[in-house]
Amino acid sequence: MRKDVAIGLPLLVLAIVVPFAWPTRYVVEEMTLFFIWAAVVTQWNLVFGVAGVFSLAQMAIFAIGGYVTGMLGLYLGWSLWLAMFAGGLAAVVFSALVGVACLRLRGAYVALLTLAITQTMYLLIITDTECFYMEGVTCRNFTGGTRGLTGYGDFGFHQLLPHKYAAFGDYFLALAVLCTATAFSVFIIRSPVGLAFKALRDNTVYAISRGIGRFKYQLLVFAASALFTGLAGAVYAGHFRVMGANTLYLSQTLFLLSMMIIGGVGQIWGPLLGAAALMLVDEALKEVVEWRLLGLGLMLVVFVVVWPKGLAGGVEAIARRWRRDSVRAFAAVRPEEVASAKE
Amino acid sequence: MTTDRPSSLLSCRSVSKYYGAMAAVKTISFDVRVGEIVGIGGPNGAGKTSLFDVIAGLQPADEGAIFFNGEDVTSASPQELCHRGLARVFQSVVAFDSMTLRENVVIGAAYGHRLRFVPPLMLDRDTLERADRALDTVGLLDRANVPIASLPVLDRKLAMFASALATEPLMLLLDEPVGGLNPAEADRVMAVVRSLAEGGLTILLIEHVMRFMVQLCRRIIIMQHGEKIYEGSSEGMVRDPTVVSVYLGSATARRLFHFLAAS
Repeated sequence: MRKDVAIGLPLLVLAIVVPFAWPTRYVVEEMTLFFIWAAVVTQWNLVFGVAGVFSLAQMAIFAIGGYVTGMLGLYLGWSLWLAMFAGGLAAVVFSALVGVACLRLRGAYVALLTLAITQTMYLLIITDTECFYMEGVTCRNFTGGTRGLTGYGDFGFHQLLPHKYAAFGDYFLALAVLCTATAFSVFIIRSPVGLAFKALRDNTVYAISRGIGRFKYQLLVFAASALFTGLAGAVYAGHFRVMGANTLYLSQTLFLLSMMIIGGVGQIWGPLLGAAALMLVDEALKEVVEWRLLGLGLMLVVFVVVWPKGLAGGVEAIARRWRRDSVRAFAAVRPEEVASAKE
Repeated sequence: MTTDRPSSLLSCRSVSKYYGAMAAVKTISFDVRVGEIVGIGGPNGAGKTSLFDVIAGLQPADEGAIFFNGEDVTSASPQELCHRGLARVFQSVVAFDSMTLRENVVIGAAYGHRLRFVPPLMLDRDTLERADRALDTVGLLDRANVPIASLPVLDRKLAMFASALATEPLMLLLDEPVGGLNPAEADRVMAVVRSLAEGGLTILLIEHVMRFMVQLCRRIIIMQHGEKIYEGSSEGMVRDPTVVSVYLGSATARRLFHFLAAS
């Protein structure tokens, strides 16, 4: 735990300083988006990495959070601050149901089912053409359809803060969600509950023979990973003032999956590292847009083959080697010290 | 329900298990009394491990009933049986490979001891002490913080024992505890099993190493083709013509006879 604080605290300070040091719209905007995606990946890692359940439903859970928040704001006139938590809770319920659906499946079949769930949600939204209400002479769909759900407003930072700092509101809100999400995932991974998730992943038969009920703990990990994913979806919806089915694109799911794999699946700090690395690479490749997908694909291949434990695993291996070398150096010095002490 | 413990801790009544048309376990009945050590032997494919799978709740019995500690557990799940006090040590060496040795044992201590409705967010001292006691019993306490994947086979096998003991079981199911070990390693496991037996733990074990089995078990059951072909003392076993012809062979039977006579 102390090690985690030592890693997390400097990062938090850095994140707080950045918008004041580089207060350009571009930096603030990109960082806000980074916080949102990183929050999702840290939670996805609990299911995918720690519990070893190959779920691809995380963006569907994210979308539930965003859409429920937007709809409560639009149709019931709720403040987004309140709607946000309802969105988070709706995501938890939805995710738990996905967990139940996956209970009898293993490995790749979980991936197929959850991908189907995400795609079904996408199709339901983009084929939604029925008029739900009229806005002047334009017909609006219940989900917003292909145009996206709009008209529910935002978190109101433009009224609260001076114009120059208005973008900071969403920035710090997204940062707060990321921080609590990260703290939550560190706590879960280090706690006995995390041990139960890992036990089921490592050897299911052995785990249930030692008293760990698969039903209960699979449900728990799906529910636990959904709260902050849903909240991240809500912040996304409030930040962009529009919630669209583009969040459910397969390419978006794969982009976040790459963050997790390149950062290090199942590692505590892997998702954050991977999210940062991929956002940077993505930025660099934006200039040469035709190479973007190819570049990301190549990176993924290299990591899966050469560095399956990801950046976090690599950093740890280097740290371990360095520590071992220093221990060996110390051990090599000692006999002489002993000898000189005798003289 | 009676207040005093029933003298028969585990009771199998005409238990059968079919895989398609094949009867892996065929109308097996036997009892294990509190504090007793019973051995199950028999040729490969006799249905010993299938029987363990049925008793431990991994495979449902197709026929018959199983009672543990006076209650019907025929359709109980593995985790429920673990909470009731039946802990299993597997034939193959299994471990939670991403964890340290202590974490492997803590799993048993935290989750196997009793059912927790609320998942534990912190480890209480009681749980940690239970885990360390179990590690101490198998002689691995000094290596507790080592990643289990880096340990040799013997230690990994003993770690399975420790995680079973950390659940504070009433009874252990041991599936070939000394299988795949060299004689020196087997002696260490044997010493652990013997000390557990002396401590009064009830044990049901499957073993191919007959020297080990006859030393340890008062009562031996021999299975073949899913059926029980012998139940009785080890002295009786080496003289039983059916057991000698289908399993032991006359040379081994003679050796065991002399071994028993000497000890």
